[in-house]
Amino acid sequence: MLKGHLDAIVLAALESGPAHGYAIIEAIKTRSGGTFVLPEGTIYPALHRLEQGGLLSSTWTTPASGRRRRVYALTRNGAARLADGRKAWSRFAKAVESSLEGGRAWPA
Amino acid sequence: MAGVIEPYLAALRRDLAFDPELARRMTDEVEAHLWDAAEADPTWPSSEAERHAVERFGLAREIAAQFATDAVHRQARRTWIALLATLAVTFLAMRLRVMWLSDSGDGLSGLAPLIDRYAFIASMAVATIGWFIFRRSLLPLALCLGALAASIAAGIVRAGLFAGGAPTHVLLAAAGEIALSGLLLFHVVGLGRSLRRTALLRRPG
Repeated sequence: MLKGHLDAIVLAALESGPAHGYAIIEAIKTRSGGTFVLPEGTIYPALHRLEQGGLLSSTWTTPASGRRRRVYALTRNGAARLADGRKAWSRFAKAVESSLEGGRAWPA
Repeated sequence: MAGVIEPYLAALRRDLAFDPELARRMTDEVEAHLWDAAEADPTWPSSEAERHAVERFGLAREIAAQFATDAVHRQARRTWIALLATLAVTFLAMRLRVMWLSDSGDGLSGLAPLIDRYAFIASMAVATIGWFIFRRSLLPLALCLGALAASIAAGIVRAGLFAGGAPTHVLLAAAGEIALSGLLLFHVVGLGRSLRRTALLRRPG
């Protein structure tokens, strides 16, 4: 289930600013309260795919600590895709919640 | 216990060898990730910390297979674009032949207009079905290529290209469909290679 939403989760993790792969994985773990623990390597094909789709940009940086890292950032298209993804997810989540609770029809 | 990060990176480089640039980039990127993860491990500094970092990262082969799957999707998209372009130009070339050439003839010359038309219709039908049902499969693309090749060959016979009797724009359109079908063949072969590679990486063991 997580796999189908990985791209949106990665985009959301980059919303607060550019980050490298390890930091993105850590952000996903933290934001999900430790619920999303996926093999860390799965993030890289997603990052590569999103970059090729123009939703992310990346550059190599060498911080003072000395280890060279590739840092990813949301592009304008990526931010727009994230906003669309959020709206779609919100509608879907409300519909599922309504269905599972068996209460009044959605939208009320 | 010897370090495990370097052997892991070597395995990743080997599994990504189908795209040398990607292999180089990923090895550099993953190396930084694994050292960050090892250094954040409570057992650091130790080879145990390296092992934990590698285990959390996942199997190199599985990560390479994900990249290979994405490459299949990209190659399939390129192949379908080449197919659409070939269909469009073949249709144009066929219409020009209908408008400018006589359909009368004996033997192969008489059959050529029929093959030209119906092989093209067959390739259109296969392309439509393939697009909706087997978009990432090689079969519909290979069948379309075969049908288009038959249509184009019949078109060449029909236009009497070798006799030099057809008008220039008919010859130019025929040259265009031959060039595009060559490009389509190139992409179909590339997609086949890409699918085989992904299957090998996904094979257990």
